[in-house]
Amino acid sequence: MNASPNSHPFTTPVTGAVRIERIAFNAFRMATYSILVAATLIFGIIFVKGSETIFRREFPFINVTFLTGSPETLHVFEHDGQKHELGDKAFRAYLESHGNPQVADENYVYSAGGIFPCIVGTFFLVVGSMAIALFVGISAAVFLNEYSRGGPLVEMLRLAILNLAGVPSIVFGLFGFGLFVLFAPVFGPAPDPSHFSLSLGFTYLNFSGWGVSLLSGWFTLAFMVLPVVITASEEALKAVPKGFRDGSLALGATQWEAIRTNVLPYALPGILTSSILGIARVAGETAPIMFTAAYVVRDRLPWQVEHASEVLFQGVMALPYHIYVVSSKIPQNVYTERVQFGTAFVFLFLVLCIALSSVILRSRMRARYRW
Amino acid sequence: MQSGEQNQALSSALKGKTRLRVFGLTFDDVMRYFFGGNATVAVVVLALILIFLLKEGAGFFGQNHTNIRVYRKAGLEYVDIMRAPLEEFSSLTRSLNDVRLKRFRTLLAQGKDVAAANEALTPFDDFANAFGAAASEARGVVSDTTEVASAVKTRAQVSADREEEKAMLLHSGKAAEAAALKVDEVNYEAEIKMITGTAPVWKAASLEMQEKLGAALVVARAADWSKGDKDLAKVLEKTERFISDLPKGESRMAAWRWDEPVPFSRAVTAFLFGREWLTASFWQDWYGILPLLVGSLVVSLIAMVIAVPFAIAAAIYISEVATPGEKAVIKPYIEFISAIPSVVLGFFGVAVLGTALRSLSQVEWLHWIPGFPMTERLNALTAGCLLAFTSIPTIFSLAEDALSNVPKHFKEASFALGATRFQTLVRVLIPASLSGIISAVLLGFGRVIGETMVVLLCAGNRIAIPDFTEGLSALYQPVHTMTGIIAQEMGEVAQGSIHYRALFMVGIILFTVSLLINFLAQRVVRKYRISIG
Repeated sequence: MNASPNSHPFTTPVTGAVRIERIAFNAFRMATYSILVAATLIFGIIFVKGSETIFRREFPFINVTFLTGSPETLHVFEHDGQKHELGDKAFRAYLESHGNPQVADENYVYSAGGIFPCIVGTFFLVVGSMAIALFVGISAAVFLNEYSRGGPLVEMLRLAILNLAGVPSIVFGLFGFGLFVLFAPVFGPAPDPSHFSLSLGFTYLNFSGWGVSLLSGWFTLAFMVLPVVITASEEALKAVPKGFRDGSLALGATQWEAIRTNVLPYALPGILTSSILGIARVAGETAPIMFTAAYVVRDRLPWQVEHASEVLFQGVMALPYHIYVVSSKIPQNVYTERVQFGTAFVFLFLVLCIALSSVILRSRMRARYRW
Repeated sequence: MQSGEQNQALSSALKGKTRLRVFGLTFDDVMRYFFGGNATVAVVVLALILIFLLKEGAGFFGQNHTNIRVYRKAGLEYVDIMRAPLEEFSSLTRSLNDVRLKRFRTLLAQGKDVAAANEALTPFDDFANAFGAAASEARGVVSDTTEVASAVKTRAQVSADREEEKAMLLHSGKAAEAAALKVDEVNYEAEIKMITGTAPVWKAASLEMQEKLGAALVVARAADWSKGDKDLAKVLEKTERFISDLPKGESRMAAWRWDEPVPFSRAVTAFLFGREWLTASFWQDWYGILPLLVGSLVVSLIAMVIAVPFAIAAAIYISEVATPGEKAVIKPYIEFISAIPSVVLGFFGVAVLGTALRSLSQVEWLHWIPGFPMTERLNALTAGCLLAFTSIPTIFSLAEDALSNVPKHFKEASFALGATRFQTLVRVLIPASLSGIISAVLLGFGRVIGETMVVLLCAGNRIAIPDFTEGLSALYQPVHTMTGIIAQEMGEVAQGSIHYRALFMVGIILFTVSLLINFLAQRVVRKYRISIG
């Protein structure tokens, strides 16, 4: 028998099967940890390189121009035996103050200044599309979970939601371009000869499309994220115990009253926290907004418009699209790397904060409501 | 009396307030229909996606038909038949050059210096020069006819544009201006005669080529320097076949008719099975989806080969092996990965991973891997690695769900019979959850094939079918994908042009593929679910 000191009658003998098990489980462990290592590497490289752009050694420790300025062309040149790296405006001012000397400068577009318009644009896109998606999504979930009683029609609805979740984002982009940018109706005082138009008596409805605009982007993104919101809302509604509804109905409430007073208030926190994941998705997608809402560059901020109605019908700059532009349209070198990694850092940081808050809020929620 | 009043009060209290009805609907009904209406949005959106993709894309086949008709009528097709052997000949000369390079290198390796090596290769060079010169006459003929056909096509295009302008003027009621607009009809028959009239010249050139090549072959076969070189023998053999195939092209040219109608099906097959996606070319535009489809599949398969083992191993580890503490950290962390925006991953590929992979491939002791070192920084492998990363969270969480949904008593029964945990896993848990795992893999595949930004930034964007004859190194070639081409070219095309519609057609294919994958995944889950309980 085995004579090792801690052997006792109940030790498992180390047979071949046990050895295989150990090897296999260790392989699984390695695979799992290598995923984590790879993810950490990606986060790490982007955060380390990006923080060189974002943070400063001296007060205020943060690169304020990068977060509050607009993108500018970077000029790199030598003058008076010194090397200068200046943004477009500063470059012109410098030339003027030095009597307009001839300098040989290398310039890189978008590599100076900041990304404030992109942050603002992404914020606008997210707020609008999430408002639409939440409104439609919660209502759809209420129907599916509270009113519907099964049957082929409801099955079809569920199938459609499932399939909608699988549609590639670029197809949403094409769809949004075809429907909202080119075809969606706008009110106009006179019929538009080149498009289909409807007379409403007091005004005309011209199907001339919304153009590349916030509105087009909102609807495209909202429809893209709809399955996420519906699924999240349904889960939150399911978590409300049946007794709440029954109690309310037994007291004579109509079904809508029961939902309004005894279901929605308890489900709403859950719905909202789960939908935060949807926000991360909306903020992160590039393909759907490429042709529907995003501009490569725009010098005015969304609120700098003449008429209030223009707010909806303007394109905006957006963080994900800006990352695409700076990583594909300009060369890779020391000067452009700053804006590239800086933008990626800010974007990743924002999206991960959103995702993290969703995870934390959800686990808190679970702890708070125990029925 | 008193009890009657009480009864009345009671019954009115029980009945409740009389409900307001609008169009026979109570407020409750209205709310119900309101919610129901919102729920149908999903169906409506799916239908709208299909309708608008079709609305913009459906005109493609008609336009492509015209495109191919002009290709035939203006004689471009004829010139392409003429040119085909010349292109084959060019590839022969290229392989001849490869043979020379190889010999040159061996000579250098034997210790000769460059001049001596070139000296030793003189007879070979003489042969190669004679070989290359054989086609000069034929090349001249082809380039002349190319110019003629191009000119005819340009004129056809101009007259088509005029026609369109005229129709537009008529449509907006400007009849006089429309009448003033002159449309020059292209007389295809006369123009074609100019092209087909070169047939005798071509025949002479082709005969000369056959003779010269034949002579060169005889010289090469007889000479000492050609002995024992397998690569050269292969090239010579191919040349022999090329010579005997030359008359075939001529018979095709003779059989060609400019007025033979192009069947409509050709417009469809040219799209679905076309091997070329060539736009804005001076000669002829082709919209064949095959290179894009193959590119998408290659990238997705690389991604799946990497992602599936890792994701499933992680799912098994988390659901069966990990301690609760590990589970609480690792599971949210992997799910957290799915929050990384794809454009950031794409940027990471451009800025870091592409360069890293290439310098890894240049490491000396890794040269045994076929295809290393890679030539391009951005290629199918770079994109595949990053795509694997986007699909790991999807596959992981679905597979983990499937594994942990297996009823506990399955596991307990297996343990009771004395099985180890690993035996239980392989024999009980995995078979029981296989349908869930397969559908997880399918959904991961759907996610990967629809991913846009990563492939747009990292796949290298070269529109060509990878050369699979080169084995594994085909994986390191740059490719273009269906999603990438839409994102890249959509912003630059004129609305309503054939190119624009072709992009929408690619979108339709993508949409169909994603629905198909979803459908399969659902079917697998339903059909092969073990009856639990």
